[in-house]
Amino acid sequence: MKQMTHRFKMVDIIYILMMIVPVCFGIVLKVLTTPASDGISISGARIYMTLPMPIQNLPITESQVNSAIVIVAVFFLCLYLTHGIKDGIWLKRHHFAEMIVEKCTGLVTNSMGEYFRAFAPFITAMLALSGFSSLITLFGLYAPTSDINIVAGWAILVFILITYYKMKCGPLEYVKSFGNPALMAPLNIISEIATPISMAFRHYGNVLSGSVIAVLVAAGLQGLSNMVFGALPGFFGKFPFLQVGLPAILSIYFDIFSGCLQAYIFAMLTMLYISGGFPLELYEARKKKRAQLCKN
Amino acid sequence: MEIAISIILGCCALGAGFAMIAGIGPGIGEGNAVAKACEAIGRQPECKGDVTTTMLMGCAIAETTGLYALVIAILLLFVTPGMFIDILMNTLG
Amino acid sequence: MMQSLEVISVNLWQILISLLNLLILFLLFKKFLFGPVNNMLAKRQGEIDARYEAADQAKRAAEEDKLLWDEKIGTVKAQTDEMMKKAQDSARRQSETIVSKAKEQADGIIRQAETQAQLEMKKAEEGIKQEIVEVSTALANKLLAREINADDHRELIDSFIEKIGDGE
Repeated sequence: MKQMTHRFKMVDIIYILMMIVPVCFGIVLKVLTTPASDGISISGARIYMTLPMPIQNLPITESQVNSAIVIVAVFFLCLYLTHGIKDGIWLKRHHFAEMIVEKCTGLVTNSMGEYFRAFAPFITAMLALSGFSSLITLFGLYAPTSDINIVAGWAILVFILITYYKMKCGPLEYVKSFGNPALMAPLNIISEIATPISMAFRHYGNVLSGSVIAVLVAAGLQGLSNMVFGALPGFFGKFPFLQVGLPAILSIYFDIFSGCLQAYIFAMLTMLYISGGFPLELYEARKKKRAQLCKN
Repeated sequence: MEIAISIILGCCALGAGFAMIAGIGPGIGEGNAVAKACEAIGRQPECKGDVTTTMLMGCAIAETTGLYALVIAILLLFVTPGMFIDILMNTLG
Repeated sequence: MMQSLEVISVNLWQILISLLNLLILFLLFKKFLFGPVNNMLAKRQGEIDARYEAADQAKRAAEEDKLLWDEKIGTVKAQTDEMMKKAQDSARRQSETIVSKAKEQADGIIRQAETQAQLEMKKAEEGIKQEIVEVSTALANKLLAREINADDHRELIDSFIEKIGDGE
């Protein structure tokens, strides 16, 4: 094992800083822009500014900024994990990176088949983005996944992929697959369109319900502690003692467990839809036929 | 004017409450799923991990219908009243 | 106070941006996580394969060597066997010839010795006969007062001596 140089260590520190700085930036932004008395209001992401665009104005919101933060942090996490892997220096985090790669590749090949091996980075990116977007609530930031636009974007990308793989056997086959029993054609079309919508709403609803319940519980506990301790003088009368413990337990379920589970389910459903919609045998038969035609 | 607004608000709240009746469905479904999973684990304790992951995923998917209802309820509670009141204000001038 | 979005509000550009975000993260993962790790894994796999290949080759070479040696040893053994057999044969033949020669010589010597012995015996017989004749004639001369001539009584004496010889 080669000795780690000073430069190597400096680059490491820069990577770690670049992971932490965006999150700190997000927290600072949140603190600066949150009005003093928020009260209980369940609303969407805060709009920082609005850019004029054709068709529809583009508001730059918390969810946009937070997903950018997640992307930057995850990118530097990747760089940190694979730093020095080419130089033959062997570190513990390389094992970790290797583990991630092998686990994700195994997951993809198990549930999609060997043909879709190239999907492993995509599924990993999806898992990471979705999971960290939900987990960012642990820093007190607004979860991008509780904004329907963000999740709808991923679901539409998945829909595009599903359609692309269904189209691979030619548009005729794609049209045919709807009218399998001819009477069911409208229902098939509706279920095809419902796929991205249900995926988006599933993820969005889960995260949003978590945050709604958290807000409601916090507000309720505040009211309750006002009722119970309100008679106490000064600071003690105003401090919501009951808010201390319970929201944390809720947060374990709604933020950590539910967030990770929803990310996993989103990725799993993506894999199932893509590999389920792709007629591999038909495709290979076509390919063989075409190759023969080319030879002749 | 006040009467109209209060009718809108009350109906939205009622609608939200009715929408959450849909919570019954996923509740029953998930209960069934967990019961079957327990049976499966009791029969084959060595498959515990697989059964648990599959059950969790199934539960999360079954929860979707309940979540649709929740989304509708949230819409009715927080979005629609404002929208309708705006429309009312605009029409009445 | 800052504005917020509604709880549900659909905005096309936001959807597009988040779609592109996912794509960008996918590309980043592909380039910066999966690329290096897969390269490293491939390299390690290559090293392991090369090592296995080398071991296999060494084993194969050793087996070939062993086969060669076995063959060589077999041929050498056969050669030595043949040589031994040849040597044994030649030795036997030589010894036989030597023994037969020796026997012949010995036989010759024995025969010679026998003939010589017979000759000598005959000579001795002759000599003894002569002596006996002389002695007997001398004795007879002395005993029979010299009347008897040696030549005259030769036949008588011969028969007598013959009788003596036979009587031996």
